[in-house]
Amino acid sequence: MNIEIKDLRYTYPTGLEAISGISLSIKAGEQVAIVGQNGAGKTTLVRHFNGLLQPTAGSVMIGDWETKKQSVAKLASRVGYVFQNPDEQLFSKDVITEITFGPKNLGYSKEKIDSLVGRALAFTELGDRAELNPYDLPPAWRKMVALASIIAMDTPIIIFDEPTTGQDSSNINRIANVIAKLRQEGKTVITITHDIDFCAENFERVIALSKGKVLLDGPARDVLGQEKVLAQTYVDPPQLTRLGKKLGLKETVRNQEEFLKAMK
Amino acid sequence: MRERLSFYIKRDSVLHRLNPLTKLTLTMALILIAFLSPWYWTPHFILLAAVLPLSFAGRVFPEFIKTALRLILPAATFLFLMQAIFQPVGETVIFKFYFLDVTRESLMFAFRNATRIFVMVSSFTLFLLTTHPSELMSDLSRRGLPGQFAYVIISTLQILPQIQAKAQTIIAAQRSRGLDTESTFFKRAGAIVPLVGPLVFGSFIEVEERAIAIEARGFTSKNLKTSLQEIADPSFERTVRWVLILLIIISALLNLWPS
Repeated sequence: MNIEIKDLRYTYPTGLEAISGISLSIKAGEQVAIVGQNGAGKTTLVRHFNGLLQPTAGSVMIGDWETKKQSVAKLASRVGYVFQNPDEQLFSKDVITEITFGPKNLGYSKEKIDSLVGRALAFTELGDRAELNPYDLPPAWRKMVALASIIAMDTPIIIFDEPTTGQDSSNINRIANVIAKLRQEGKTVITITHDIDFCAENFERVIALSKGKVLLDGPARDVLGQEKVLAQTYVDPPQLTRLGKKLGLKETVRNQEEFLKAMK
Repeated sequence: MRERLSFYIKRDSVLHRLNPLTKLTLTMALILIAFLSPWYWTPHFILLAAVLPLSFAGRVFPEFIKTALRLILPAATFLFLMQAIFQPVGETVIFKFYFLDVTRESLMFAFRNATRIFVMVSSFTLFLLTTHPSELMSDLSRRGLPGQFAYVIISTLQILPQIQAKAQTIIAAQRSRGLDTESTFFKRAGAIVPLVGPLVFGSFIEVEERAIAIEARGFTSKNLKTSLQEIADPSFERTVRWVLILLIIISALLNLWPS
């Protein structure tokens, strides 16, 4: 399912213009990272994808639906959105009930819900914690419960808002695995992140926003190589990329594998 | 700039610069004198000759008049009508309405009481418009008000906007999970648990964190605390406060005097 954004503008009731003319198209199955300084408009942009915000001008199409004409509850069947703080959405007495909440709202059959919940538990490695109360789990695992509760909705498009903030490396790997599995299923994954290594290792396409506009948009390799332009929105390329540049490598490298290959 | 949940408007004026306690005493004096003074025209005089000019001195006249009218006009009007109609005093009947007599005396009585209420609400409005709550609280706790009391007032003003913002995020998060918050009554009633649950859990966690954070800064310490914020209290203002208190006492005595 494609996302088409045309001349999007958004002004908050306070008068602050957060999005000042963005046009983008995201194809089905793409893995996109959105980067940029605080206040660049990242969250404001993705909140248009599931109708939480309505454009001041311009339009957002999710497949054949224009977000302006659909309710958030309806758009939830096409766009899943994992919020930053899991504590702002968990309310059930155990993990499995929490994960069932989303697919149940979408009105799936009992069998479908069961298989989707099983899949979400497997993706997030929560299988042996399914009976526990989410608030008895450490924050890192609460984050996984929040992820699972959206994955279980089986939407063609999934948005993650800063999934790796405050997570240790084993949980970051777990989140990277989830994204890899969603990619295999052909889902579109859109992630807002400040974690540039995570971005370099897991995403093919990177969009850099600055002051409500698209600064750079393209394959991760091209975008992350442009140190000077990225500096405008306070994004540093990954350390290996910068090291590669200093060593005078011809290609822009993003991760260890590419770095070692280029060094040979 | 207007802060949420507090009337305070940040501006530079004589009234803003006054010590909070002086402003509080002035407010109390205006109100008490309006109520206690035996002369009929005192409340009207206070309103026109003190409260209104002060709102100009504080450079908040437009906001003042808007807030005061909105707060008090309905109540004062109601009070005026009730007292004018049902007050059984006076002989000079102005007009009759079935069994109700509206007399000159009852009108006068009602007019004065409505004005008194007006003085009370408007001078408090003026006080709140020109005094930042945290400035008032830090001045009062410097003078010996228990810290716990100041904390309750200040934290309420700070926490409520935070809870509001949190509630907005929770609503957004649950709607993204397909929660229907817009259609039929039954669907909306069922939406309460997913919305209130995280709000309550989250608030408990926050209260604990807040308690630890303020204790880390010596909240219950018995030692004398210094304040980063110096609040000026010139001796001139101290004199003004005593004069105001004296005026209140005189009004009270005059009121008690057998006439």
